[in-house]
Amino acid sequence: MNIIETQNLTKRYSGFTAVSELNLHVPKGTVYGFLGPNGAGKSTTMKMLLGLIRPTGGSFVIDGRRFPDDRTQILKEVGSFIEAPAFYGNLTGEENLEIIRKILGLPKASVSEALELVGLTDFRKRLARKYSLGMKQRLGLAGALIGRPPVLILDEPTNGLDPAGIHEIRTLIRSLPRQFDCTVFVSSHLLSEIELMADCVGILNHGRLLFEGTLQDLKFSAAAQGYPTDNLEDTFLTLIDADNRRRGGAR
Amino acid sequence: MSLVLEFRKVKRTGLAEAFLGGGILAAAVPFLNMTFRSDRYLSANGSPVTILMDANWQMMSMLNVLLTVAGACILYHIEYADHTMQKMNTLPIREVRLFFGKAGVIFTFSILFLLTEAASVAACAARWFGSGPETAARVLYIFGFALLMLLPPILLSLLVSSLCRNMWISLGIGVVCVFAATMLPTRDFVLTLFPFALPFQTPGSLAADAVRNYAIAAAAEAVLIVLLEVIILNVRRLFE
Ligand SMILES: Nc1ncnc2c1ncn2[C@@H]1O[C@H](COP(=O)(O)OP(=O)(O)OP(=O)(O)O)[C@@H](O)[C@H]1O
Ligand SMILES: [Mg+2]
Repeated sequence: MNIIETQNLTKRYSGFTAVSELNLHVPKGTVYGFLGPNGAGKSTTMKMLLGLIRPTGGSFVIDGRRFPDDRTQILKEVGSFIEAPAFYGNLTGEENLEIIRKILGLPKASVSEALELVGLTDFRKRLARKYSLGMKQRLGLAGALIGRPPVLILDEPTNGLDPAGIHEIRTLIRSLPRQFDCTVFVSSHLLSEIELMADCVGILNHGRLLFEGTLQDLKFSAAAQGYPTDNLEDTFLTLIDADNRRRGGAR
Repeated sequence: MSLVLEFRKVKRTGLAEAFLGGGILAAAVPFLNMTFRSDRYLSANGSPVTILMDANWQMMSMLNVLLTVAGACILYHIEYADHTMQKMNTLPIREVRLFFGKAGVIFTFSILFLLTEAASVAACAARWFGSGPETAARVLYIFGFALLMLLPPILLSLLVSSLCRNMWISLGIGVVCVFAATMLPTRDFVLTLFPFALPFQTPGSLAADAVRNYAIAAAAEAVLIVLLEVIILNVRRLFE
């Protein structure tokens, strides 16, 4: 069963198409890696799923609810982290999560649980303004995870983290579907990263979906087209490159 | 609910201190005026409260409006500074709730600083004019009216702040509007209805039906500004 499904989802900015007739299928209970180079349209897609920007065309369903009629219901079930971490610099990490907790109407314990998950418990009393980049990133993640939403939409969650932090957050994301019975839709530039945490991948280039399926499918399909498969990063780059060439060298 | 939430968000922003300080400053105006120029006012005709208001209200209300403009800017600055506006929009609440919450915060602070000012005016009347407790009702009436007149500028400066991602732009617009308001000719009733000009009115210098007209106008403007905000938020969504 697919928990997120889009039908010809399209976003056009005056004359420029950022996302083009996207048909995504995100199976329930998986980590779905959404992959693409800079400017491919990953954030744009995620923002449409959250109702932050309006699709020019197409539609989508999240957990059986259709946008825009069920917008509020969708937002209740989706925890999200988009582009940059959002926080009130004048509040502590704990107070920041407390605001989100109140809005979502969650039990008090959910704040400490979220802090614990992202490893911020020791810094919960520090002002978010004084957090390091990685700590802000973690706070943003905590704001998505709080209350164990059934769907998580995470846009480049490991940005700005140190190698140990990247590993830790990856392991966390990997474990989420089993731990909390949720689905994670996560974006990244790096196939090597997605490979370590995702069950399925969708590869986006210039707003178009080049591939969708399991990592195994990706290897098969790449091998069938004569692309290298021993290093998936090369596979990804070759795939993107071939698509760019098909578009007549237009980048 | 959203009011409590908005109060939590302004912790450590200096907003409460700014309102407190501004309120004390405005409350000091009649005191200083009486301390240094009491002979001029003691010989004037009219009720003590009216004399005090005529002498000081221009200055006090100017401080009040500037305070609310600055407050509105800070309240939305904390949303735009680190992307929390976007985060709020991914949570299951309507954006206009934020607006009402923030209006509630400024309104509450306005009650506090107007009460401080009212206490100061009453104290001046008692100290220099020997007025008794009977002035209390009159002072409260005057400052209740002031609160109502402050409602349109509160809402309008919040509307401007909600639309400008950059706090300096909304602050600039607000300050220009306040100064423009002080320069409008006061003879023309329609011109004095400019939202930022309303707080300069005080019942002592108005005829009874003018008081009523201003009250109706302020209430109507408040409703219109809220409607405008709702419309703008919905239309803006279509273009994002
Ligand atoms: N408001 C806008 N107006 C015009 N073009 C826009 C707007 N927002 C995004 N775009 C364009 O849409 C394209 C996709 O942007 P998007 O942010 O979705 O890319 P991305 O895949 O998230 O890239 P990155 O990996 O760099 O985050 C880009 O070319 C971008 O310039
Ligand atoms: Mg992006």
